[in-house]
Amino acid sequence: MFKLIVEKELKDIISSTKFAVTFGVCSILIVLSFYVGARNYQIGREQYDAAKRENARKMEGLTEWTDVREHRIFLPPQPTASLVMGISNDIGRNAEVRGRGELNPEDSRYGEDPIYAVFRFLDLDFIFQIILSLFAILFAYDAINGEKERGTLRLTFANAIPRSTYILGKMSGSFLALAVPLLIPMLLGSLILVMLQIPMQGDDWIRLFLVIVAGFLYFGSFLALSLFVSARTERSSNSFLILLVAWILSVMVVPRTAVLLAGRAVDVPSVDEIASKKSRLSASLWQEDRKKMADFKAPEGTQMKDLMQEFQKFMSKMGDEREAKMQEFSSRLNEERANKQRVQERVAFGLARVSPSATFSLASATIAGTGTQLKQEYKSSGEQYQKAFAEFMKGKTGMNMGGAMVFRMITDDNQAKKKPINISEIPEYQFQRQPVSASFGLIAVDLGVLALFNILFFVGAFVSFLRYDLR
Amino acid sequence: MFATLVLKELKNILLSPKFTAIFAVSALLMLLSVFVGIREYQSAVRQYAAANELVQQEMREARQWMSVNNRIYREPDPLQIFVSGVQNDIGRYSSISTWQPVKLIHSAYSDDPIFAVFRFIDFAFIVQVVLTLFAILFTYDAINGEREQGTLQLVFSNAVPRAQYVAAKFIGLWSGLIIPLTLPVLLSLLLIFVYRIPMSPEHWSRVGTLLGSSVLLFTFFIAFGIMVSALTKRSNVSFLIALVSWVGLVLIVPRAGVMLAGQMVKVPTVAEVESQQDGYTKNRWDELSKTMQVRWRGREQLLQGLDEAGRKAKREELEWTWAEEDAIDRKQVQVDINENSRKLNEELRNRKRVQEKLAFSISRVSPVSAYQLAVMNLAETDINVKGRYEDALNVYRTSFNKFKDKKAKESGNSGGLRISFDSNTGIKIDAGREMALDLTDVPKFEAARASFGEVVASVIPDAGILGLFCLAAFAAAFIAFLRYDVR
Amino acid sequence: MEQQVMFEAANLSKRYEDGVLALDDVSFTVRRGEIYAMLGANGAGKTTAINIFLNFIEPSGGEARVDGIATHRNPLEAKQRIAYVSENVMLYQNFTALQNLDFFAKLGGKTQYTKSDYRDVLMRVGLQEEAHTKRLKGFSKGMRQKSGIAIAILKDAPAILLDEPTSGLDPQAAYEFQRLLESLRNEGKAILMSTHDIFRAKEAADTIGIMNRGKLVMQKSAKELAGEDLEKLYMQYMAGHVN
Repeated sequence: MFKLIVEKELKDIISSTKFAVTFGVCSILIVLSFYVGARNYQIGREQYDAAKRENARKMEGLTEWTDVREHRIFLPPQPTASLVMGISNDIGRNAEVRGRGELNPEDSRYGEDPIYAVFRFLDLDFIFQIILSLFAILFAYDAINGEKERGTLRLTFANAIPRSTYILGKMSGSFLALAVPLLIPMLLGSLILVMLQIPMQGDDWIRLFLVIVAGFLYFGSFLALSLFVSARTERSSNSFLILLVAWILSVMVVPRTAVLLAGRAVDVPSVDEIASKKSRLSASLWQEDRKKMADFKAPEGTQMKDLMQEFQKFMSKMGDEREAKMQEFSSRLNEERANKQRVQERVAFGLARVSPSATFSLASATIAGTGTQLKQEYKSSGEQYQKAFAEFMKGKTGMNMGGAMVFRMITDDNQAKKKPINISEIPEYQFQRQPVSASFGLIAVDLGVLALFNILFFVGAFVSFLRYDLR
Repeated sequence: MFATLVLKELKNILLSPKFTAIFAVSALLMLLSVFVGIREYQSAVRQYAAANELVQQEMREARQWMSVNNRIYREPDPLQIFVSGVQNDIGRYSSISTWQPVKLIHSAYSDDPIFAVFRFIDFAFIVQVVLTLFAILFTYDAINGEREQGTLQLVFSNAVPRAQYVAAKFIGLWSGLIIPLTLPVLLSLLLIFVYRIPMSPEHWSRVGTLLGSSVLLFTFFIAFGIMVSALTKRSNVSFLIALVSWVGLVLIVPRAGVMLAGQMVKVPTVAEVESQQDGYTKNRWDELSKTMQVRWRGREQLLQGLDEAGRKAKREELEWTWAEEDAIDRKQVQVDINENSRKLNEELRNRKRVQEKLAFSISRVSPVSAYQLAVMNLAETDINVKGRYEDALNVYRTSFNKFKDKKAKESGNSGGLRISFDSNTGIKIDAGREMALDLTDVPKFEAARASFGEVVASVIPDAGILGLFCLAAFAAAFIAFLRYDVR
Repeated sequence: MEQQVMFEAANLSKRYEDGVLALDDVSFTVRRGEIYAMLGANGAGKTTAINIFLNFIEPSGGEARVDGIATHRNPLEAKQRIAYVSENVMLYQNFTALQNLDFFAKLGGKTQYTKSDYRDVLMRVGLQEEAHTKRLKGFSKGMRQKSGIAIAILKDAPAILLDEPTSGLDPQAAYEFQRLLESLRNEGKAILMSTHDIFRAKEAADTIGIMNRGKLVMQKSAKELAGEDLEKLYMQYMAGHVN
């Protein structure tokens, strides 16, 4: 009996024009999002390589390691970030590395090219969140009351079929008929990634797989919700309306409201306030050091040719002390802010998870590595690189970067022309993304919440249908 | 007859349970979006005032002119309550200093990515997504629904000209949907008064134009729904077509245009351009360094043959001339660097302009894109706000730096470190005097604002496109209905 | 004195785009004060004939006239003289019976009616008072049918066109409907109705026409059919045993 219901549901859906049209549209959009994501990745990669080349080129011809300044690092594009963009376009992609001081990534994609911020991108998150949820509603809003209106419900229950079997069969059939065919464009999309030679590693494939799983759970939750509402209303026009309102609330209102509420509830010191405090401390430290500079006296008997070195040592020591104080102060302020931000995020995302759309969006961004943790990951890895870079430069120049002053010596023309430095010796920055396993805990929570939505709504549909008036 | 038909249509909408639910949701969302916009605006104003005060404080604490640095923040505008546009995606401020070029950095979303996760909903978003969807919901069965019901046959068993019927249908539906929505719109505008948002008459004119554009977009979707209904026999078919079309027009086409243009027109990144700039800067300073080498060798030669007292006297005599000479050359280097930066940025902007033109031309296939672009222009939260601000900031930077130089000269306190090496006296460092700086006539930054006339001129093409879309949809509905089988 | 001809089918033919000949040279008249019942199986051409009178479709040959006005040449003028009741009267579900009557009366050019007039007509057709202010959503088929005929009465047109008016009605409702038709006939209306209901046709109609495969195969007055078994006659014509 169950199998019969499932088969009927499958046939009914798949043979409908509605299915042909919506499946066609969804497939095109899914494949398109994979293609566009792949192309975006390629363009991003080209831009990244060009920026690195340019960065290296400006250092060509330098003869002194002390002349090495304005060295930049860049956030490399990630394949999965092209499929689920998250906040990857909102954070700075390149940072100046000076060997000391704070790293401030600048030039986000949207900041640099606001054109993309106008309409934003078509990625898997968008397709699942907006399009597929709408289509789940479109198919299931009249799953129960539509059959009642058509008279087929009465006809069905003129036979000996338990209600529980019917509703289970309805749910299973709908899910199979709608979700399973979507695997086809997903597979096609994955094939496009391979054909376009997008360097997907094992970790990336796992991430993609998990995003698809999350997407299907999300799709299932809207299917179950639609079934639930259909089993609670007499008329299909009413259930459609209710579901549409629920969709608007889930997709648009709840997530944003949660963030705004958290913004009010948790006070995070503004970036301006912190920048100003740092700036003022830096200015006052500089002022103190200027006084010390004026009092500089080389040790007795220092030769002219060694005078420069002594001065450099003096300046370097002062710079190191200044840097240490700034570092300590900045770290404290940054940590305070980061802690507050973390609390704010926990509140915001906790509240937002009332909405299946928000839960899915958070899950997919975490899985793809483009959640709010990305900025901190980039900054941390940049700071680690800065340390390594500073060590390297100290080895080459004998002093810490940024502390000393660079003097251009007027020397005899007859001095032999110096050889340019070998810039390929400079350590290369590698952004090490956390493996997906590091976020398994958080991902599991979100997938669990999505599964819970499925269960809750289905139980609602089940219980409602047991008491549904079939006439 | 016409009035009868229109009134019937009005009543039919207002009495339907669909209307109550949809009106309630629309009204709530509109009010919510404006309320949230107002709170965000107020918060932005507070942040702006606080940031400016911090900058002033830093400037007051500076003791040398050279160390006086300014930061200019973008001033929040009340219209961002209605259309946030790219407001939160572009940098909030730029440093103004002698050495650093102007650049808007630290966007709201990059500073606080939590707000980038779900982004803001503004009034324009509600119109584009929610109201257009509701327009479709009310009109997808405007014709074929009556046919299925049998009322179309009944109506046309009377002497009702078809043209009159479809015109009355359109006007009736339009009035029935637009008129009730004026209430939440008015309430939203009332909120502006209640929260004492400072709106000038020009602001109100822009809001009026924004509302007019919103009505145009809404009208298009009403006409579109009627058109689809008049082209199909069954309402479930027209529903599907209308919904899929809505998804395409509202969600897909606008994005597709931008993505296509991104693939077709390559634009270098700022990182690439800045690295090019760095390279030029380095080379230019190297050139100066070589020139200075030659010059200093010459100066040394001048002092040769003199005794200790003679060298000191000569040096003192020529110090100022030498310093001026060197300063002129350094300034020239800076001018060259700035000019190179300007050229590179102009090239970059030109490339971007080509990309933008293509992107928006493709996107304008959907009236929703035309609407979004129009309202962003009205609220001045469009993509050109970055360029406009940076141009104005460059002008300001020049006047600010001139001001600093003048003050430094007048006070004889440039703030720079003067380091001199002498084989006899060794190293001498002059850190300059410390003094309280007179900041009373620091130049004020004037943000470049487009006049209302200029803004309207920029909006007219998109408003025209919206109008054309409306006409085309209604004409298609009209023609389709003239041949519609009412049985 | 012979009454004025209100409905006239003059050699009316209709061939659809798919080649089906729905009407084949059909001619009949319906005068004022006459009820003409068109009998026939599904697809016989009854509804096609009605659609031509209403100018929903155009004839391929011949003419359909209402009060001498060719419907395909002057449809608006012709429609001013017709009141129509469809087979399945749906009306506007969100309106009450009174609101529906008000709208359709005005549409028919009658703007002088008051609420009291509407109530009187609804009472006349047998719709109980409590139902007058209820939305049509909750009406039974019989109640909707009564609302439909009330609309036709309000239009006060000299010609009334009915498409299967008693289909789905219980015997009581069908009888009441018949009585109503008779009273309208007695007021001098010309009534043309298509029906499957042989019994009602014999009871109420002054003239009966039988349609089969687009042709009018029989037309007799009630007098001529007085002693005959109409049902048997109908079956014979349907089977083609009688020409």
